[in-house]
Amino acid sequence: MLEIKDLHVNVFGKEILKGLSLTVPPGEVHAIMGPNGAGKSTTSYTLAGRAGYEVTGGEIDFYGEDVTALSPEERAAKGIFLAFQYPMEIPGVSTMNFLKTAMNAQAKLRNEPELDAAQFLRTVRAAAKELNISEDMLKRPLNVGFSGGEKKRNETLQMALLKPKLAILDEMDSGLDIDALKLVAEGVNKLRAPDRSFLVITHYQRLLDYIVPDVIHILAGGKIVMSGDKSLALQLEENGYDAVINKAA
Amino acid sequence: MAKVVSLDNLLASVAARRSEAAPWLGALIDAASEKFAHVGLPNRRVEAWRYSDLAKALHETVKVEADLDTPPVLAEACVAAFENGVLNDTKSSYCAMGAQSLRKVLAEKDSPVAGIIGRVNPQADHPIINLNTALMEEGLVLQVPKGVTLATPLHLRFNWSGVDAASADGRHLRILVVLEEGAEATLFESHDGAPSFATVVTELSLAPNSKLTHVRLENFAAAARQTAATVGAIGEKAAYRGFYFSQGGHFARHEALLKLAGEEADARIDAAYMVADKRHCDNTTVMDHAVPNTTSTQVFRGVLAGSSRGVYQGCVKVAQAAQKTDARQLSRAMLLSHRAEIVTKPELEIFADDVKCSHGATAGELDANALFFLRARGIPEAEARAMLVEAFLIEAMDTVENEAMREIVIACAHNWMLRHAGEASHVE
Repeated sequence: MLEIKDLHVNVFGKEILKGLSLTVPPGEVHAIMGPNGAGKSTTSYTLAGRAGYEVTGGEIDFYGEDVTALSPEERAAKGIFLAFQYPMEIPGVSTMNFLKTAMNAQAKLRNEPELDAAQFLRTVRAAAKELNISEDMLKRPLNVGFSGGEKKRNETLQMALLKPKLAILDEMDSGLDIDALKLVAEGVNKLRAPDRSFLVITHYQRLLDYIVPDVIHILAGGKIVMSGDKSLALQLEENGYDAVINKAA
Repeated sequence: MAKVVSLDNLLASVAARRSEAAPWLGALIDAASEKFAHVGLPNRRVEAWRYSDLAKALHETVKVEADLDTPPVLAEACVAAFENGVLNDTKSSYCAMGAQSLRKVLAEKDSPVAGIIGRVNPQADHPIINLNTALMEEGLVLQVPKGVTLATPLHLRFNWSGVDAASADGRHLRILVVLEEGAEATLFESHDGAPSFATVVTELSLAPNSKLTHVRLENFAAAARQTAATVGAIGEKAAYRGFYFSQGGHFARHEALLKLAGEEADARIDAAYMVADKRHCDNTTVMDHAVPNTTSTQVFRGVLAGSSRGVYQGCVKVAQAAQKTDARQLSRAMLLSHRAEIVTKPELEIFADDVKCSHGATAGELDANALFFLRARGIPEAEARAMLVEAFLIEAMDTVENEAMREIVIACAHNWMLRHAGEASHVE
């Protein structure tokens, strides 16, 4: 369970999050929607522990533990996963080698046994097949020359293999056409589980047609100004952020 | 402590050597020593040595670490083992491929290599090559006959345990490799330990249609002081494939001075250097395109940590007659510390008008976005840094076709990361 309490975050000395509070119980899918500049990306980076996102107040409790002082890798090992809006291209690191290193590193941090080569291959191949990821893609350098859809499918594959307790999807739909979006959403939906929660960060309602949230929060000016069920997304789509936020204020 | 190498001592030694030399060698020594005496040990006032002041480095006190690395073992190779600058026959197997000890060759009254040594791609004004010529004593000569392909590589294994410090002149080694028409060979040079002062000159004469693969590995200890030069002439349709790896040293410099002497001659150098602490690593190249239709490519990639200094000087010369030359050079450096430094100096001297010459240089830091991406997947910082550094260099290391050699090179890179990943990690 994720509980964000009165979170204040500075980026380059400027306060971006100004008292964000939010609770995501296990198994639920919550969406954060908001206009440009509301602090959506700051929220996802802060949760993942990126350097430069300075928490000046409040806490991030994850299953009862405040994780604000933990490194990104420690948070990952605790089960926090960030699917990037723009996954990095890393020439010189093969996708396969990256997956193996990440899985083994997390196992090590959790004091679990590492997978042997055969188990690893079986696991990756099975998960890749589900997401329509070819052997060839796995052999290529990480995300290099991948299309937008391939990159997002690759993120979904990492999510499937790393089995997080909380998956943060940062603008999962950016750079995707409708077919690619459907495929990625399908992959995400398959990963829904009673012990796994999702925080879907998006600008547009469109993504939420495919990944249907239990709760929608509207983020504006660095805090949650409104929460509601999925019908909130439709209101936003019809009336725009300004109207809905002003009505809430 | 080592005696300081001085010009007077060196010249006295040259005079002694001259008095014992055979006439053919004496003529060579005379020409070289006269030029050397004129310039002396190069310092930063000599333009080509501006960023690598050898005279100054030789005056600095160095301390040799207690536990030096052991040199690499290349399976299935003929070995020439040089221990503290002396060829050790009991540990060598070079005779199997017809190579000869330089010491024996120099002692001959009339040598078949007399017309070749020092004349492959003459560097009349090069202070260190002249010094090497005047004082060369140990080394190896290999001639590969016409049309012959050597099945096994020749491993030139230079190892310095630090006990050569008593020599006030340093050690001056000379290798001569002659590939006759259509011959092919692979040369693996490894340099380990801590020479107090060594010069190594490798002369490569590549006749038409020959091919030489040359893998150089400088895996020195921090106290090492060496300046080396690969001096080559590449004939018509002949090919030189070089891969250089270096960790630098107290003073470590390597120059590739290659002349593309026949049409369709091709030279390619890929290099990776990883330098830490206060080490110095200098890669200098001169590609001399002398005739039409020749190609050269050089790609240098370096990683610099601590307060190390890397130097890349790449000169491309295109003679007036050398139309249709295609010469490319690229230097990419990654600085892991704000105290590390890279000096990049490309030089183009082009006298022909129909040529393609390109050069590029970049210097940057480890990509913070990529580092965060890897860490967000649970990969600890030091390991993530190591992955990104290796990713940056792997393209160069992958050019080593011989699998055993490639493994040795990659193992050296891994070792470096193990030693220096932590040190790199506190720099943000």
